[in-house]
Amino acid sequence: MKKRQRAGFYFILPWLIGLIVFTAFPMLAAAYISLTDWDIVGNAKFIGLDNFKNVFRSEEFIKSLWVTFRYAILAVPLIIATSLTMAVMVSKNYKGMRIFRVIYYMPAIVSGVAVAIVFKWILDPSYGLINGVLSFFHIKGPDWLYDPDWVLPSYLIMAMWGAGGSLLTYLAALKDIPQDLYDAAMIDGANTWKKVKYITIPLMTPIIFYNLVLGIIAAFRKFTDAYVLGGAGKEGNFYMVYLYEEAFSHYRMGYATALAWILFAIILLLTIIVNWTKKYWVYSE
Amino acid sequence: MKRNILIWIVFLLVLSMLNGCSKNSKDKNTFTFATWAAGTELEEFQAVIDKVNEEAAGEYKIEVLSIPSDYYVKISTKIAAKNSPDFFWLTQELISKYAKMGALADITEQFKHSDSLTPDMYYEGVLASAEYNGSYWGLPWIANPIIVFYNKTMFDELGIECPTATDDWTWEEFIDICRQVSGKEYKGNTVYGTIIDGWPNIETFIWAGGGDIIAKDGETIVLASEEAKKGMGYLQTIIKEGLSPRYAEVASLGSNNVWFEKQRVAMFFGGVQDNFETKVDKMDESEKFEIGYAPMPVCDDGSPWSFDWTASTVMAKSLEGNDLAYKALEAVTKTFFEWKIVPPVKGSINNVIKINPKKEVAMETIAYIMDYARSANYIPEWSDINDKLWYNLYVSLLNDASFDYRSQMDEIQAYSQDLISKR
Repeated sequence: MKKRQRAGFYFILPWLIGLIVFTAFPMLAAAYISLTDWDIVGNAKFIGLDNFKNVFRSEEFIKSLWVTFRYAILAVPLIIATSLTMAVMVSKNYKGMRIFRVIYYMPAIVSGVAVAIVFKWILDPSYGLINGVLSFFHIKGPDWLYDPDWVLPSYLIMAMWGAGGSLLTYLAALKDIPQDLYDAAMIDGANTWKKVKYITIPLMTPIIFYNLVLGIIAAFRKFTDAYVLGGAGKEGNFYMVYLYEEAFSHYRMGYATALAWILFAIILLLTIIVNWTKKYWVYSE
Repeated sequence: MKRNILIWIVFLLVLSMLNGCSKNSKDKNTFTFATWAAGTELEEFQAVIDKVNEEAAGEYKIEVLSIPSDYYVKISTKIAAKNSPDFFWLTQELISKYAKMGALADITEQFKHSDSLTPDMYYEGVLASAEYNGSYWGLPWIANPIIVFYNKTMFDELGIECPTATDDWTWEEFIDICRQVSGKEYKGNTVYGTIIDGWPNIETFIWAGGGDIIAKDGETIVLASEEAKKGMGYLQTIIKEGLSPRYAEVASLGSNNVWFEKQRVAMFFGGVQDNFETKVDKMDESEKFEIGYAPMPVCDDGSPWSFDWTASTVMAKSLEGNDLAYKALEAVTKTFFEWKIVPPVKGSINNVIKINPKKEVAMETIAYIMDYARSANYIPEWSDINDKLWYNLYVSLLNDASFDYRSQMDEIQAYSQDLISKR
């Protein structure tokens, strides 16, 4: 190896060792653990694919997967639409717009547990903020997290509140759209909606695609607020919460690891599908 | 030259990284004690440990490891990493689980042959929580049986007869009092007889009818008995008749105990430790009220009882048979009897007043109920069974008073029995 290459290799060696020790090795260990019956404390007993078979026979697995999938189907497009709309609104250079950019982005940097605790109050059926506002209009608010039918809407509200997280990426992409295109469209008599439909959205599709993939991953890995808040009738029992409880409440680490690999496969499959659709709707130069 | 320097820099970086992963070695007479205590409780705990270390005079030393959050996740992870704390607190529900997993030292022989702390010194119902498969796996250091706290001032103003400190009142009588209170206006608020929001635990109601969840043999599920169903019927009655705030409404005041403190409910099922006395003392004069105490309503067969929450201090498996470790464990446990209420050993009931003088007014009830306090028969499969009991039975009934709890109890019994059959 040439001298400079060797030097470069030595500099990345600590990171490489870290990657092997803290990422690759745990992944291999997880692959093995998923094939064992292991209660964390005792010795792991090899049982082949029994964990995977038991997962697919489990009602709890089906339920938690359905809760998560249903949330993802609704939350991801909602978050993208909300975030994109916010980005378009704050991309204008009006006075004071910087303050709004900060306000919209702030939820993304707040701790998940803190958010969950605040929303516990906001969604309180008796004295919460939302029902308080509704009562002002003589509307009786639902029981939110205490009513199985309203658990999903509760989490969708929380998701939309945190939609500002991808604001920065959309803003950056909006700034990249050449002004000439808008000028030319204006000359051709295009109104605002046509500009958005034929210029803004098509040129934003690469970043939308990026956020779509990240959004799917985040939705399927939803944990913190679901763990804190739960939800009536197990409607708040998301997949990761189920996985966590199997590992640390029921001491079934082998089974939980199998769940983790199945989740990995599901997310991978969805990402591949989304990536395959890319050629139909994502603009590329 | 530059190459050599580079190699050394990389070597040192790798070495420092690996060093962070290494275990620390310690002396054979130094024991780590893991606790979930934090804040003020941790300071008190440290003071207890310091006292024990001082009395040990160098024979052994105990070091404190505080794990204030995700306690059991950390404990189990440490055990898995072969780095178990030497002693750690374990709640009664997990004793059988951890014992079966091989994480705990069997202390039966040392316990039975001890000179200063033997099984017969404990209240039987409390000690049973540390027993599994005929062996003892830890030393209980606390008992917290449930009693009924009631607002005596409210009772007097509403003209309701108060239960006595050692009353043998029945569940029908309890519910009848709830009916007398619920819906009345008191201090500008509509009040309820009691509050049920998942507390008290489901065992309370199942035992109320004379039933149980798991038989003494640890293998037979008896949840679907008529006695157990009758007990759950009391819960349904309380919810159906609106004798407790709605489940969705409870969190509006923060937590269930606040309803009692704010005089919105007349009776509260609380552990002996619940410190209402101190809270009432700190209230404005206009908000203060007199607290009354009564035991749990008796079972349908007339027998008094109380669900007791207990925790034990357990020893790591690696220390099984280690007499020095057991000596330290015993010493620290006995010191806990002077720190926490209620001490789980007979003859120490007056420690309650020494530790918390405000509990003197409750002593008659506390002393009475300790003879009947008992924990449930927790088996290794308890966490799975409890999940079903909580989500499929208790919460379902809390959300819908017309829920068919009887069928659900049959289903959970079948599920639980099937689980045990797979042992």
